[in-house]
Amino acid sequence: MPSLRELQTEFSRAVFGNELSFGAYVRPDGGLNPEHRVGIYRNNTFANFTDALQLTYPVVQRLVGDEFFSYAAAHYIGQTPSTSGDLQEYGDTFPEFLRTFKPAASLPYLPDVASLEWAYEQVFYAAEPDPLDTLAMSRIPEERYGDLRFTLSPASRLLTSAYPVLRIWQVNQDGFAGDQSVDLDSGGNQLLIIRRHLQVELEPLTEGEYVLLQALSDQLDFTTACEQALAQQPDFNLPASFQRHVAQGTLTNFSL
Amino acid sequence: MSSKPTTCGLGPDLIPAQAGIGLRAGHYQDVLDSKPAIGWLEIHPENYFAAGGRHLALLEQIRSHYPLSMHGVGLSLGSTDPLNHNHLEKLKSLIQRFEPTLVSEHVSWGSVDGRYFNDLLPLPYTEEALDHMVSRVSQVQDFLGRQILVENVSSYLQYQASTIPEWEFVVELVRRSGAGLLLDINNIYVNSQNHDFDPLTYLKAIPGDLVQEIHLAGFTVNTVEDREILIDTHSRPVWEGVWQLYQQAVQQLGAIPALIEWDADLPPLNVLVGEAQRADSIAEQSHALVT
Repeated sequence: MPSLRELQTEFSRAVFGNELSFGAYVRPDGGLNPEHRVGIYRNNTFANFTDALQLTYPVVQRLVGDEFFSYAAAHYIGQTPSTSGDLQEYGDTFPEFLRTFKPAASLPYLPDVASLEWAYEQVFYAAEPDPLDTLAMSRIPEERYGDLRFTLSPASRLLTSAYPVLRIWQVNQDGFAGDQSVDLDSGGNQLLIIRRHLQVELEPLTEGEYVLLQALSDQLDFTTACEQALAQQPDFNLPASFQRHVAQGTLTNFSL
Repeated sequence: MSSKPTTCGLGPDLIPAQAGIGLRAGHYQDVLDSKPAIGWLEIHPENYFAAGGRHLALLEQIRSHYPLSMHGVGLSLGSTDPLNHNHLEKLKSLIQRFEPTLVSEHVSWGSVDGRYFNDLLPLPYTEEALDHMVSRVSQVQDFLGRQILVENVSSYLQYQASTIPEWEFVVELVRRSGAGLLLDINNIYVNSQNHDFDPLTYLKAIPGDLVQEIHLAGFTVNTVEDREILIDTHSRPVWEGVWQLYQQAVQQLGAIPALIEWDADLPPLNVLVGEAQRADSIAEQSHALVT
């Protein structure tokens, strides 16, 4: 008699590796052969993971259609084990998978759209941000401002793409009315994906603003971050942008 | 029901012998707006493992109006891998935050060598598996510092290795581990059809004092190679044969909180409330409701 461990290992091989030998462990009863009974579990498992990917990546699904999405998902699921009992964690590497998935190569913007959708979900479920302690910041002597380092809200992500992913995302939302055409040559996006008052917002950033936030997110000091932002975009209104991100909770902590 | 629900700081605390429904994201706003007259709500804790956000905030509001049960789907109790302590920690902190009256998991496994199926897979009903499950349930109860309930699952195959009838396995597990039993009437029915046994044989083997909760749900009928197989999809109204079995269960076991589960193809909230009312009226007709 196989041990429980052997049985579970063989079950896994049968579902994920399509091995037929597992039929020997299954009772051939009720007019249905063991391979078909194992096949029900294979179908259920792949359907569950495909559903989970659809929930996270609805725009990708809309762009490629249901059939192609299921086809891509089946390849992804076969090569990407779930490592958690929480299905919400599944699918983090789907954008990277799409980057190398040859049948999707004709849609070069697809991986970036997927990255946007993953970032959206991470922001949706992230921890509550603490507001920046502006009183404590007002006590910092002005000559030390340049040495400040900031933390971005845990419920925020930065994303850059060579494609107009924001427009692609918007025209593929339920209830979007109007012209659905997207000019792929209209330029890329730098985006801040951020949760404010429990709503996820997608904000297009200027190049200077994106570089500023990215540098602060990388824990560079304020002087260096400002220099990088202004080098990228000399006409960038840095003081106004910085104040906005303090006031609107993009920046949630600071240290000297 | 004559007893007044007790309340903790968060909301009502006593799960009455009245039907509840499974709370799903698509119904949050409707539940808050209409506050349907149902006994209690059940959630999958994994849906709230996130650090923050709208769903947790809404659950907090909803909790202030209803008693709560947590029904886990991802702990992989029967796996031969070590228990997932990250998962258990998240479960424990969610229990501490929302103070559910009941906490349950499944008599199943769902991972091996760290790879998760995210599905409820049947165990072989052997002495080895029974010993293993007793030990795992005990570990979980020790870690959480409370009793859990375990639920019988649907299955589409039986193992050659099995030596114990499923109902004996489940009862023995509950007795030996000190857990409670969450009796899923739909799963008994599904298995009786898929494995050709009389569901009453299963039901009659269940001692009433072990059962603390009942589940009802709808299945899908698939045809595989000319053979009908019932798949536990939670995507349909409760089947007539399952209602009949529920009526017999109520007569045999007495008044027990029942829950309507619906996961896929979620209908409007009032459909679930209607199913819960039907469960209540069956219980009342059976003169089983405590007064």
